[in-house]
Amino acid sequence: MKVEDVVCPFCGCLCDDLVVEVENNRVTSVENGCTLANEKLMEDHRLKNPIRRERGSWKDVSYDAAIQETAEILLDADRPLLYGWSGTHGEAQSVGVHLAELLGAVIDNTSTVCHGPSILAIQEVGHPGCTLGQVKNRADVIVYWGANPIDAHPRHMSRYTTYADGFFVKDAFKERKVIVIDVRKTESSAVANEFVKVDQGGDYAVLSALRAIVRGKGDLIPVKVAGVTREQLFRVADICKNAKFGAIFFGLGLTMSPGKNKNIRNAIELTEELNRHTKFTISPMRGHWNVYGSNEVFTWISGYPYAVDFARGIAFYNPGETTSVDILRRGECDACLVVASDPGAHFPRACAEHLARIPTVQIDPHVNATTHLATLQIPVAVTGIDAEGTAYRMDGVPIRTRKLYEGTYPSDLEILGKIYARVKEAKGS
Amino acid sequence: MRFVLNTGRTIRQGSYVERKNSPVYREEAASLHMDRVDMLDLEIEEGSHVRVKSDQGAVVMVARPADGLVRGEVFVCLGPYANFLVNPETHGTGMPDFKTTVVTIEPTTDPVPTVRELMEQCGGVGYEG
Repeated sequence: MKVEDVVCPFCGCLCDDLVVEVENNRVTSVENGCTLANEKLMEDHRLKNPIRRERGSWKDVSYDAAIQETAEILLDADRPLLYGWSGTHGEAQSVGVHLAELLGAVIDNTSTVCHGPSILAIQEVGHPGCTLGQVKNRADVIVYWGANPIDAHPRHMSRYTTYADGFFVKDAFKERKVIVIDVRKTESSAVANEFVKVDQGGDYAVLSALRAIVRGKGDLIPVKVAGVTREQLFRVADICKNAKFGAIFFGLGLTMSPGKNKNIRNAIELTEELNRHTKFTISPMRGHWNVYGSNEVFTWISGYPYAVDFARGIAFYNPGETTSVDILRRGECDACLVVASDPGAHFPRACAEHLARIPTVQIDPHVNATTHLATLQIPVAVTGIDAEGTAYRMDGVPIRTRKLYEGTYPSDLEILGKIYARVKEAKGS
Repeated sequence: MRFVLNTGRTIRQGSYVERKNSPVYREEAASLHMDRVDMLDLEIEEGSHVRVKSDQGAVVMVARPADGLVRGEVFVCLGPYANFLVNPETHGTGMPDFKTTVVTIEPTTDPVPTVRELMEQCGGVGYEG
């Protein structure tokens, strides 16, 4: 069976033009997808059934027993942490936030180790962003800063920027200028019109220098700023000022490097300066599929986009204190529910060690690094393959995903709904 | 020798991310990309095993030459090998310093651990499946 207009379940681009062939409850071919999409859609190595760790070995358990034990673990905990959420759909995320409120737990999503610092900056100075459609149709200057889209978002350049012809940009490859600013050469920098090599940790200084030039204070700029020559800084500033419509996309090269949220604030303020000359926008390259959706869903319900602590009976938010890495490194939580992510692989080692010390339940389709740290794992359907639901693209556009076939695994929503019901019943609320 | 460890996405890491216990994922996640002159200084070749140490611990990886890096900087894709070395301090931001871990690197003949072995070192129990 051929299915058209399929939404990719991997990165924040949510490409919605894939064509897949499905046979016997498996995707057998993918058209239009990048390597990441093909691997994700055609994978066939799911965990077969729930597993439980018992005295140093693993045993199969039923879904019902696993759901009951998860509810008991969460009810027994004084300081549970509910982490992950970016690989699942908004409906399941919503149940997660209500579960956290019921338990008085901390709930956090993967933006905590991704674009959390971008959110902090946006909360300080706002977000002059736009949809990817605006970029595709209007932008004649594109800046990728601390981002490597060819590896991380492989179709970003072909669908929206470098190679994407638009309504006002008829021959994109010739008419658009692409600037890549990074601490290392990448596949993406190789296709740029201008590559700006910044010394590691020097992004804040380079952003400040560009702001000064755009502001008319170029005489303050020394011969070199964090490895970038004065001539190149002026050239880049000129390209940006002379754009009809410019778009900055930034990645974890800014959010994880020294300066973190202050780098992003500076980048947003550079965008503001550029808007005195022309139209410029700035947007984060959201990585983990529906991570933008997790920020949206958390915010609708609690008022905060991540790191939400319900221990006081009301929503409390203080990144640096209520963020997962901080809670785990302090050894503070006494149980953890991991949904649709892999902190065992993507958090520092000290955090993984704490996950191994406490009861950790993972709801995830695959065996990953966190599996080895967990007490219990419940396999579920993959949203966009055998589960349906809503996800948000990196520019904030919600897109409905469909099931490609009727599988045998329950969805995140079904499992979380049952856990929520049992916790609610036990709480008598 | 002392280096600054940078981490990030690679297309191979992303491709195998749902198969973290596979040899192909290990090959990518345990690859340490570095400047060729630095490799000469360490007297290692492509495919040599190296012990990478930070203030958090040590892990064995495989050295690979890279053209895009300057001397003194090394790159490992995000994953459990790099994160074995990353300090969990977030300086009040929630975000560890994933891009700037100071490490030392020395040649070794020790084997590269599997993801399962790394998680067992963290206190976990390996799952075969």
